Amino acid sequence: MYLYQIRDTDHFYGDKQVLSIENLAIPSASITGLIGPNGSGKSTLLKLLSFLEVPSYGTILFQGLKVAPFSNIVRSRITLLPQEPYLLHRSVFDNIAYGLKIRGDTNDLKNRVAEALTLVGLEPEHFVRRKSQALSGGEAQRVALAARLILKPSVLLLDEPTASVDAYSARLIRKASLQAREEWGTTLVVATHDWQWLYETCDSVLYLLHGRLFKGGLGCAVYGPWRIGSEGLLLKELHDGQILFAPKPEEGKQMAVLDPSRLKMTLPGMDDLQQENRRMLNGFVIRLFLERNGATVQTAIKVAELVITIRLDRSKVEMLRLFPGKKVRVLYDPQEIEWF
Amino acid sequence: MDFIQEGFSQAIALLVNRDPATYSAISTTLRASTMAMAASLLLGIPLGYLLGYFDFRLKRQLRIIVDTLLSLPTVFIGLVIYALLTRNGPFGEMGLIFSIPGIAMGQAILALPIVVALTATAVEAADRNLPVALMSLGANRRQIAVSTLWEVRLGILAAAVTATGRVLTEVGISLMVGGNIKWHTRTITTAIALETGKGEFGTGIALGLVLLLIALTVNISLAWLRRKN
Repeated sequence: MYLYQIRDTDHFYGDKQVLSIENLAIPSASITGLIGPNGSGKSTLLKLLSFLEVPSYGTILFQGLKVAPFSNIVRSRITLLPQEPYLLHRSVFDNIAYGLKIRGDTNDLKNRVAEALTLVGLEPEHFVRRKSQALSGGEAQRVALAARLILKPSVLLLDEPTASVDAYSARLIRKASLQAREEWGTTLVVATHDWQWLYETCDSVLYLLHGRLFKGGLGCAVYGPWRIGSEGLLLKELHDGQILFAPKPEEGKQMAVLDPSRLKMTLPGMDDLQQENRRMLNGFVIRLFLERNGATVQTAIKVAELVITIRLDRSKVEMLRLFPGKKVRVLYDPQEIEWF
Repeated sequence: MDFIQEGFSQAIALLVNRDPATYSAISTTLRASTMAMAASLLLGIPLGYLLGYFDFRLKRQLRIIVDTLLSLPTVFIGLVIYALLTRNGPFGEMGLIFSIPGIAMGQAILALPIVVALTATAVEAADRNLPVALMSLGANRRQIAVSTLWEVRLGILAAAVTATGRVLTEVGISLMVGGNIKWHTRTITTAIALETGKGEFGTGIALGLVLLLIALTVNISLAWLRRKN
């Protein structure tokens, strides 16, 4: 059963299109990760999923139903933790109890607030009376999460929940969110750059680029300036002097994207340039992350100012003896570079 | 310079000896300004919220009009209210001319743009993440309005302080709509104008000091509220 179904949905801010999704379904009680560069539409998608905004075109079905902002089903079952959560100028207790109070559900508030605080790793006796302004960034983020967890939501949408907190707070936020899924079957959608969230915790990861879902993985966006080169290609000189080749874009498109599913990685001396039109870029591994399936490894390669992330089989990683710092080469076909 | 010193002594004497005329003026002033402030806050806070929270066509133009009304001359308001409430005026039958509610009406009109403009400014200056936070916690439209106003309560308090100051110290409306009738509609400011006109500077200063004392009390109370929040 899909909790959300999105089809042919476009969203605009003024004249600018910020999101265009042809088809997306999110199952109940799943954890979905959203990743993409700044401005790729992650926060907008979360706002649409939380029905804080209505898409300019198309519909989003929730449990197969069309629902509207402020409807009972939205207000009682879906909650969003924004990237910069706002805490009311009141005590921690009042902040956490707010959602229950406005629902008229005031039974045993003291214990429920204490439970919610414990869930996010804050000691109730130390925090419950504190003013929200007296909290550190990580504590404020956890209090904001507690204010949502106390509602036992069906859907918890998290926008970069660990972006500006320390590692300890990040761990507690992740743990509390996962507990919500385990205890109440809460569906989680998390926009994050945290690989641990994405590749260790999430059931599926959606890659957003320029407001569109990108199927090939974590696409590497390349911006201008570009020079006109030979063979009808454009040239981008990277900071270390290497040249990236790309086909000419259609009018109005400004961002070139390297699709990681079409890239190859080799070691220097093992280059496989036999395939026609392959070009190469030199770089080095900066990060390796074993995915939850245990069979594939997300491999981030730094090429001048670019970070290219390729999914490799674990066996290949072992065979090539990859480690952070190891020099590698990325092979690509310029004609396979897409423009957005 | 003697009359200034005399004024201070007289002020204390008027208050300590519970001078009936002085206390009548104080009572009239407080009654009229309380009615005026109650009306302007009840009307002005929701209007200020609507103006500050929502984006709509002609919002900027409306804002300019409200800001312009901040400098409405009190004598002009007095004139308009007088024309409306006088026996031959459209609302003459209500019998509000030369009455405390009549003065309060004029003062409410004086205070309303202040409350609306400063509330709208406070709401506009609220954190842009506030509406999203409230909506994501399940607040409906009414709860968003109430919670937003509570979040900007210090701004609204500032609006109330500013408007109270203007209402307490105005003279044009009280004089024209109230008629400065002793024991009835004579306020502190109209009494000061009268006493000064008669050459009774001491009494004028004494009443001025009483007015300052009231303003001080109001402001201390509001400052206490502000500190508490």
